[in-house]
Amino acid sequence: MSSTVSTDFLSSIIGRPVSVKLHSGMLYQGKLESIDGFMNVALSNATEHYENSNNGLLHKYPNEVFVRGTQVLYISEI
Amino acid sequence: MSLDAPLDLLKLNLDEKIYVKLRGARELSGILQAFDSHCNIVLSDAIETKYELVDGELKSTERNSEMLFVRGDSVTLITTEE
Repeated sequence: MSSTVSTDFLSSIIGRPVSVKLHSGMLYQGKLESIDGFMNVALSNATEHYENSNNGLLHKYPNEVFVRGTQVLYISEI
Repeated sequence: MSLDAPLDLLKLNLDEKIYVKLRGARELSGILQAFDSHCNIVLSDAIETKYELVDGELKSTERNSEMLFVRGDSVTLITTEE
């Protein structure tokens, strides 16, 4: 598989704390456990916020969370 | 616990109770019987919860089904029950 800046970025942030924003506006923050080519994401210690983490904590997921790639708007390192 | 692919998380939870968040303020919980790469999933003993605002108040309604096939389209998040 050819390596590009975008795939390099995605593999370089594995294990780091990230923000994942969905089309719905929901924001998930947690440690990026894994990611695949469809932008499916697994997060540990995930917290759920709406739009912005300053808007308060909606939920804390004690177990690992799977987020479906088609719903993802962006992923960024915190 | 570290897995190399996000979908491995689902494989690990076959026959376990999972919680699924869907589009449109809907949630499901049930026992994961099957899934595929589109996130189509089959749940047994499923409970569907729908949240809606009625006159400014949050109402939730539940529905039970013995066996439920969910089209992957509407799935946003999957985790195990706490």
